[in-house]
Amino acid sequence: MKDAPILVVDDDPDALDIVQTFLESQGYRVVTASSGREALAKLEELRPALVLLDVMMPEMDGWEVSRTIKNHPTLSGIRVVMLTARGEFADKQEGLRAGADDYIVKPIRLDELGQKVKRNLEAGRRAA
Amino acid sequence: MRIVVWAQDETLRRAIDDFAAEHDAEVIDATGQTAKKLLDELRTAPNLLVIESGAIPIAELRAEASASGTALVVACHDTPQCEAAALANADEWILLPVQPDELRIRLRTAQDRAEGVTTRRRAEETVQLLRYEELLYDRLTGFPTLPVMIQRARELLDARGELTILYIHFVWFSKIEEIYGWQRLDDVLEASADAVREFYARERMNGDGAMLLAHIADDDFILFTHVPPDPEQADRRLRALTTRLEGFLRARIEEQHGEEIAALCGIYVGTSTVFRNPKIRTERLIYRSIREAADAARGAEAWELTHKVADLKATLREGAVYMEYHPIIDTQTEAIYGYEALARGIRRSLRSPEVLFEVAEEANLIWELSRLLRQRAVQGIKSQLRKDQFLFLNVDPHDFDDPVFRDLQPEDLGIEDPGRLVFEITERTAIRDYPRFQTYLTAFRERGFRFAVDDAGSGYAGLGSIANLAPDYIKLDISLISNIDTNFLKQNLVETMVQFAEGQGVRVVAEGVERREEFETVRDLGVHLTQGFLFHRPGRRAIPA
Repeated sequence: MKDAPILVVDDDPDALDIVQTFLESQGYRVVTASSGREALAKLEELRPALVLLDVMMPEMDGWEVSRTIKNHPTLSGIRVVMLTARGEFADKQEGLRAGADDYIVKPIRLDELGQKVKRNLEAGRRAA
Repeated sequence: MRIVVWAQDETLRRAIDDFAAEHDAEVIDATGQTAKKLLDELRTAPNLLVIESGAIPIAELRAEASASGTALVVACHDTPQCEAAALANADEWILLPVQPDELRIRLRTAQDRAEGVTTRRRAEETVQLLRYEELLYDRLTGFPTLPVMIQRARELLDARGELTILYIHFVWFSKIEEIYGWQRLDDVLEASADAVREFYARERMNGDGAMLLAHIADDDFILFTHVPPDPEQADRRLRALTTRLEGFLRARIEEQHGEEIAALCGIYVGTSTVFRNPKIRTERLIYRSIREAADAARGAEAWELTHKVADLKATLREGAVYMEYHPIIDTQTEAIYGYEALARGIRRSLRSPEVLFEVAEEANLIWELSRLLRQRAVQGIKSQLRKDQFLFLNVDPHDFDDPVFRDLQPEDLGIEDPGRLVFEITERTAIRDYPRFQTYLTAFRERGFRFAVDDAGSGYAGLGSIANLAPDYIKLDISLISNIDTNFLKQNLVETMVQFAEGQGVRVVAEGVERREEFETVRDLGVHLTQGFLFHRPGRRAIPA
């Protein structure tokens, strides 16, 4: 069976492009969404192993998307990694409440992105 | 049938189209038209005119609608608009967004009224009726099924001459969310709703075809049923039904969420029976009866609280509490570092410490209870503690308002080394006056006592209280610890806490460690102490070395 894809959600097309290009170069299958709603609409069908979620998005922010995923009866097993512009403690606490599994501080460093994606996918497989 | 519509709201337009299709009616779209145009339309005597509130003053249309026998229905965005519509003598009103079921009934009632099948109500009477609806609406942010239910209840009442209402009132001891987290609370609420539905389905299967169920607010429900005409028999059957209902719900919650959570839930059923009375409007009878049943359910709650308060007073008089001690483990050596004392009531109704404290708060007996528990906690384990072990006692910020506690000396508790006693500050309520609170803490420190911040990372106990209380221990809440082995965000947070603690000479305790993987993770992150079912459950005495 083909590996489940990674869903990257960000309203900034440049950020999406960088993350997608990098992850694809590492051999992952990547699908993108440019809003929280689009991401949620794609989740059911896509069943990604991991969602990389930007916090600051108009309409529906990353926390809300994360909460929706983690409270969903069948989607709650999906790993959620937040892309946050700040590394503040308050943000992490919010992430905890939203059920996130990990976070990456923006601007993204590609080596960190690679490591975090790898270990979250591994943790996801272990937990399954 | 012909329906004239002035509406921009999509739900309303769609619901009217559906209604028209069902009734083979013609819809005339007048959206955007002026009052004058609408008056022209009215002269063609359509059966219904539905307008969105705010479009055209209702008063301008009222006379013409009456003259042509057209039922006037106003769709409103909020309840004040409903009230205005009622006062302007609209035949019926509906709240947006529209539920098709509700609209159907509202349109039919409006027509009945316009055609004089039902006597036209006086405006004030209508407003009063609206207030009954609002009473129920109020508590429940939109309750579209209520009018639907009332309509069916009316049919039942008309057919049988009487109707019995069971009002099911759930009470959750408020701390459930803080202790177990909101997801857990949601689960429990859902389970209780499911249990009510299941009970309803079962009883209906048993032949009581006349039952009806409605959901009010988050956690209250209404059941309609009918009982035999013989009053004595009716009374007995109703009591049996109520007992069965309460028992069923309690068993379900216990089954799915355990005894501990079930103990935090109160289930109260109030009943009320309506008899048909041609002199009084049926809706009013029913609404009034729902309120009676709700009052009865709340009365049952108050009655039970009175009993619990009496139980608590007896408990305090007799000292009918016992202590359990939960070991705290040194993460490096895995030896027992100390114990946290946990209070339990001997009476079943007061077994859970949360209930114990909530009742004490209600009865203003918190200080008395806390004093008893402190004495008991120390007495119960003093002689068993090794010289190097610590005793952790829970205190509430409010305890510092008690002069007896404020002036507490080590000898009052009969202990030699106050440094072995750690007060865990549990923020059940937010601390408002930090400067004053800090002077109390300083005085305690000068007497040699130590402090811990309990449940850090949950509820009120955030970074602020850690900074303000400058504790000797930080106890990390279970929500931060569960599944920490696979959650990197939690790992990072705990790591930050440990780094901070090391710099301040503070020790970190991980609460709720249940799995070996969780233990190893927190140990590797540098957490000093752990507490949880992985090593020990709370017990009545210290564990022998």
